[in-house]
Amino acid sequence: MSQDRIALVDVNNFYVSCERVFDPLLEGRPVVVLSNNDGCVVARSAEAKALGIATGTPWFQLQAQARAWGLMARSSNYELYGDMSARVMEVVGRFGTWQEVYSIDESFVGLTGTPEQLGKTGEDIRAAVDLHVGVPVCVGIAATKTLAKFANRIAKQNPGLGGVCDLGAMPAGHADAIQHRVPVSGLWGVGGRTAARLKLMGIETIAELRAADPALIRKKFSVVLQRTVMELNGTECIPHTEERADKQQIMFSRSFSAPVTTVGAMEEVMAVYAQKAAARMHDDGLRASAMTVTAGTSRFAGGEGSFPAVTVRFPVPTQDPIVLVRAAVAAMRGSTVPGAAYLRAGVMFSGLEPADGPEMLDVFGSGTGASQPGVGGVLGEVRGRFGSQAIGIGLGGLAAQPGWTMKREHSSPRYTTEWAELPIVKA
Amino acid sequence: MDLATSVAAETDPRGFPSPARDYFHGGIDLNRHLIRDRTSTFVMRVSGNSMAGTGIADGDEIIVDRSLPPRDGCVVVAVVDGELLVRRFLRHNDGQPALSTEPSPPAAGQLAKPSELTVWGVVTRCLHHV
Repeated sequence: MSQDRIALVDVNNFYVSCERVFDPLLEGRPVVVLSNNDGCVVARSAEAKALGIATGTPWFQLQAQARAWGLMARSSNYELYGDMSARVMEVVGRFGTWQEVYSIDESFVGLTGTPEQLGKTGEDIRAAVDLHVGVPVCVGIAATKTLAKFANRIAKQNPGLGGVCDLGAMPAGHADAIQHRVPVSGLWGVGGRTAARLKLMGIETIAELRAADPALIRKKFSVVLQRTVMELNGTECIPHTEERADKQQIMFSRSFSAPVTTVGAMEEVMAVYAQKAAARMHDDGLRASAMTVTAGTSRFAGGEGSFPAVTVRFPVPTQDPIVLVRAAVAAMRGSTVPGAAYLRAGVMFSGLEPADGPEMLDVFGSGTGASQPGVGGVLGEVRGRFGSQAIGIGLGGLAAQPGWTMKREHSSPRYTTEWAELPIVKA
Repeated sequence: MDLATSVAAETDPRGFPSPARDYFHGGIDLNRHLIRDRTSTFVMRVSGNSMAGTGIADGDEIIVDRSLPPRDGCVVVAVVDGELLVRRFLRHNDGQPALSTEPSPPAAGQLAKPSELTVWGVVTRCLHHV
C-alpha cells in the first residue's frame, strides 16, 4: 500500500565533505574546518571526532598536536559550501513531491510509495547525491518531521544501515527499544533546559515523552513541545514554516502565493526576505560571514526550470541590514531568468558569530560595505518601495579601528564559483 | 557554478538595475549548450601537457560531468594517490579499467590498479586556448 512519508536528508560533516570532493588527500584523515579568522572548530570529519576534538575548540589549542595527529585544517569556504549546497538540494528535490530546505545541508522531502519503494528511494537519493555532487548523505524516513529527524539520527549512528533508516520498515519493537533508551534531548527542538524540566516530571526518554499527555505538556511547556509529542505518535503537525534560526544558520524562505516572473519583482522579494532574516539576526545578537540567496521554479511545470543560488561572502562579518539587502538584491539580480515563473525564494545567513563589539570597517573597499557611496540611494529606494518601516539604519559600520584583515590561512580555493580558482587537474 | 553570471559584474554601485535588463533575453547561453546537468558539472583547469595528443593542453579548462558513466576510451578525471589526474579511461581485454595518456591501451606496467583508481567524473568538453 502506498504511503506518504517525510524524509530528512542531510550531508554528513557537510563542510569537511565539500573540501574532500576537490582535495582527495583529505579522505580518511582527520579534518577540521575553522570559523572566521581561523578562530575555532566549526566542522569535524569522523576521524577528527574520534580524536576527541570538540566543536568550538580554539584552533591555537590544537596547533601543537596537529602535526602528530596528521590533522588538517581548512578555513571556512562559504562560496564553496553555498554552491555545493545548492547542488545537493536540487538533486534531493528531484526525488520528492515537495521539498523544504531546512538548512545549508538539510532538507525535508515528501516521498510516496510502498514500504519497499520508500527504502529504495532513500538509497537512490544517497547514490544520486554521491554520484552528482560527491558528498555523503544520510536519509531518515518516517511519518512526521520529528520522527524523520529521529530516523536520520539512527541512520547516522548505525553505519550498518548504509545511511538510510526507514522507521516504519524497522523490525518490530526495534525503534521502540531505541526510543526507550535515547534521552529526550536527542530529539529535534528539545533543548537542555526543556529536558531538565521534563526530568522533574519523570520524563527522561523519548518513549516516555511519547506516552505523555499532550494537553498537559502544552499546559506545562508550550504548543511546540505538544507538537513534538503528537509527532512522536505519528500525527503530522509541524507546518512547513521554512524558517530556521540557530547557532549555525538563519534562514528565511517562502513559497509565493503567485509566481514571480520579473527580475524587478524578485529584487523586491529579496529585499524583504533579507530584511526579515537580518532582523532575526539582529535580535539574536549575531552577524553573518556569508549569505546564500536561492529561488526556484516548479520542477513539474513545463519548460526549463531555473534554480538560481548565489553565495556572497562579506569582507567582514556584518549584521548591517543595508549591506545585507543590497547584497541579496544584487546577487539575485544577476541570476534571475526573466520570464521564468519562480515559486519560492530564500535568504540564508551562515558563518554566524556573536556581534559583540562594533563591526569592523571594510578595509577591502569591496563595494558591499555600508561606508560606500550610494547607500543612501538604496536606502531611499527600499523605503520608497516598502514604506518607512521597511528598513532600519544599520548599527555598525564606522566605529571600529581598521588595521587587521580576516585571517584565512588554511583556505581552499573557491573551486566552483571563481574562474581564477578552478580545481587544478594534472595532465 | 554559473558561467553566465557574476555577482561582481552585476553589482551596480548605485544599486539600480539596468532598465534594459528585463528585455534582454541573451544571445547564446553556453550553460545551455555545454552543461547537461548543472548539479553534476564542474569546470577544472589543466596543468601539464601529457594529454596534448588528445587536444587538452596546459592551462585549458575542461568541463567535467560526474554523473556520466565512464565508457571505454573516454577522457576522465581520476583520483590516483590523492591527486586529480586527467587521463583516458580504457578497459583492458580482461575488463580491468586502466588509465592512459594515449588513445591506445597502456602497457601492462602502466596500469593503475583498479583498487587505486577512482573515476571522479567524465570530461565532456575542453575549452582549449588557441
